[in-house]
Amino acid sequence: MTALAIKQALEPDLFQEDFAVHAAGLPGAGLAWLDKRRAEAIKAFASTGIPTRRVEAWKYTDLSASIAETLAPAVRMREPATTAGAFAEIPGARLVFTGGFLHAVHGSESGVETVDLSTIDSNTPGWVNDHFGLLAAGSEQPLGAASFALMRSGVAVRVRAPNAALHLDFINPFRRGDFVSHSRVLIVIEEGASLRLMESHTGEGTDQTLANLGIELVLMPSAKLEHVRLQAEAPSVRHVTSIGARLGRGAEYRALYAALGAHLSRLDVRIRLEGEGAQANLRNITAPRAGIADITTVMDHASPHTTSRQLFKSVVGGTGRAVNQGRVLVREGAVKSDSHQLFKSLLLSPRAECDAKPELEIFADDVICGHGTAIGALDDGALFYLRSRGIPEPEAKELLIRAFMEDAIGDFVDPAIHGAIWRRLDGALNVVGQTET
Amino acid sequence: MSDMMLEIDDLHVAVDGKEILKGITLSIPAGEVHAVMGPNGSGKSTLSYTLAGREGYEVTRGQILYHGEDLTQLAPEERAAKGMFLALQYPVEIPGVVTMTFLKTALNAQRRARGESELDALKVLKLVREKAKALKIGEEMLKRALNAGFSGGEKKRLEILQMAVFEPKMAILDETDSGLDIDALKLVAEGVNALRAPDRAMLVITHYQRLLSFIVPDRVHVLAGGRIVKSGGADLALELEAGGYERILEDA
Repeated sequence: MTALAIKQALEPDLFQEDFAVHAAGLPGAGLAWLDKRRAEAIKAFASTGIPTRRVEAWKYTDLSASIAETLAPAVRMREPATTAGAFAEIPGARLVFTGGFLHAVHGSESGVETVDLSTIDSNTPGWVNDHFGLLAAGSEQPLGAASFALMRSGVAVRVRAPNAALHLDFINPFRRGDFVSHSRVLIVIEEGASLRLMESHTGEGTDQTLANLGIELVLMPSAKLEHVRLQAEAPSVRHVTSIGARLGRGAEYRALYAALGAHLSRLDVRIRLEGEGAQANLRNITAPRAGIADITTVMDHASPHTTSRQLFKSVVGGTGRAVNQGRVLVREGAVKSDSHQLFKSLLLSPRAECDAKPELEIFADDVICGHGTAIGALDDGALFYLRSRGIPEPEAKELLIRAFMEDAIGDFVDPAIHGAIWRRLDGALNVVGQTET
Repeated sequence: MSDMMLEIDDLHVAVDGKEILKGITLSIPAGEVHAVMGPNGSGKSTLSYTLAGREGYEVTRGQILYHGEDLTQLAPEERAAKGMFLALQYPVEIPGVVTMTFLKTALNAQRRARGESELDALKVLKLVREKAKALKIGEEMLKRALNAGFSGGEKKRLEILQMAVFEPKMAILDETDSGLDIDALKLVAEGVNALRAPDRAMLVITHYQRLLSFIVPDRVHVLAGGRIVKSGGADLALELEAGGYERILEDA
């Protein structure tokens, strides 16, 4: 062990110290159920601390090395957010967060209740303590555990009607100093209800913020969730989101994740297909030119006839690095499980890198599990084909790069979402495709 | 100005340092259709890729004149803008690019390069629809991703549609007959024949005589071992069909 490693092993890290000093002042401190879950979560977090590369699930993304400085906990800001969320023109109630804190609520949806978690107390409705902190808070998602234990802000949402639509606009305005925000989102969709969730993270400025978000998705039987998530933070920011989802019988989760910002981003997803016939369909796109864009998933088939699909696409330029990891677990008895994962990456520069790691663990018979990985440069044959039809080389390359991404988005979302994603993606691809100077 | 569309003189081409074409001489006047026939490995595809300017096909000797202009220094897109067109044996599948969008992008890129005004979406749509009808290409196919999941016949028809839309001066058809059943072959041949014109030349590259019963060439050239070993009229194709390549090669 190096001196630094010994120091890390012996001393509690930033987050444990924060907990030791501030636990009594956190929102809801003193509520017995919450205190208990928080204590469990900080313990779960302490089993790894802020992960180094020696933690297997984090071997490609060294978060510990990235957090060398001290980060003060984010506090509620007074000034309103000036930027709009990425899906601004699409209907739905809108919750605006600045620095992780719920700042404003615009509009409402029938059958949708919201609770500001920064003011959680003994009057908080029972469905919150029925669910809150039971997902994305275990040792396998250490940052998720920290976001729960140290939660200072966030929102809980309960949906009891079909066709609800909700925006979560996380805005990181410029501020002086480097902060860490530990926020949580709890979404409970009751039996037969459905929600379109549009989550966007946008920001400006040059501070070294670490946004640490934990999201719990509870889908009761036959519930449906369409989740569109755009992470377009400022390049200086580090962003970690841990998602924990639980799907009841016949529930459906459909998600498009896009990570286009932050110099280090990690999306840590654990989905448990708990009820028979539950389905999850994930698409992920990243386009790093510098820094790391990491998605790591665990798809847990725990019941028969469960289905999962995962398609991850990365366009990597400059010195960027894409990390695509996915573990599919089919538990004993989860017969007729049907799972597929495909990771494709396009490397545009000699120093661009992609780490892809699909894994399968199967403990049931009579299942269909497939996976594939493709990492490469632009296809010469396709490039020649387009050029031979008169399309100049730079334009042909651009067309192919966009086509590569469109292949993951085109058939997956409706035109309004498609347009909103492409408005951001276009800019990101223009940058990632630039030749190194 | 010469009425020769394409003049290939002593063309030597190497791929990965290995010489494939070993001195081809061939001239095609405007208004004529020439066929190049040859067994597998004779250099047919190398010839078509070289004419279209694909990277990795190195001209080590000889020249290619198009309208009297040296082609070898031009990029593929520049050749296309000047009126060259290559229908590929295996058109490339490009998921994520809508066929109609591709047609508009390519047509306008060519027009831009020639200093012509670009056509708006509506004009392109009208033009494409008109040409697509004859090739039995429906609206639905134009909305799909370029060649993605297309059958062999659909891919070849789309190549001919592109030729009809771009209106090239010099069209090269590389094994356009491969993988086609007789109905698809007839449809494609009709499309090609409709484009025969006094100011347009075509080079039809094929392994089999079959296609040449439908697209009757003015001249037939036999390619073997990287050289043209025999040239003749349309009858030469029939002779080949009857006797096979071996006999011709022995004679040569």
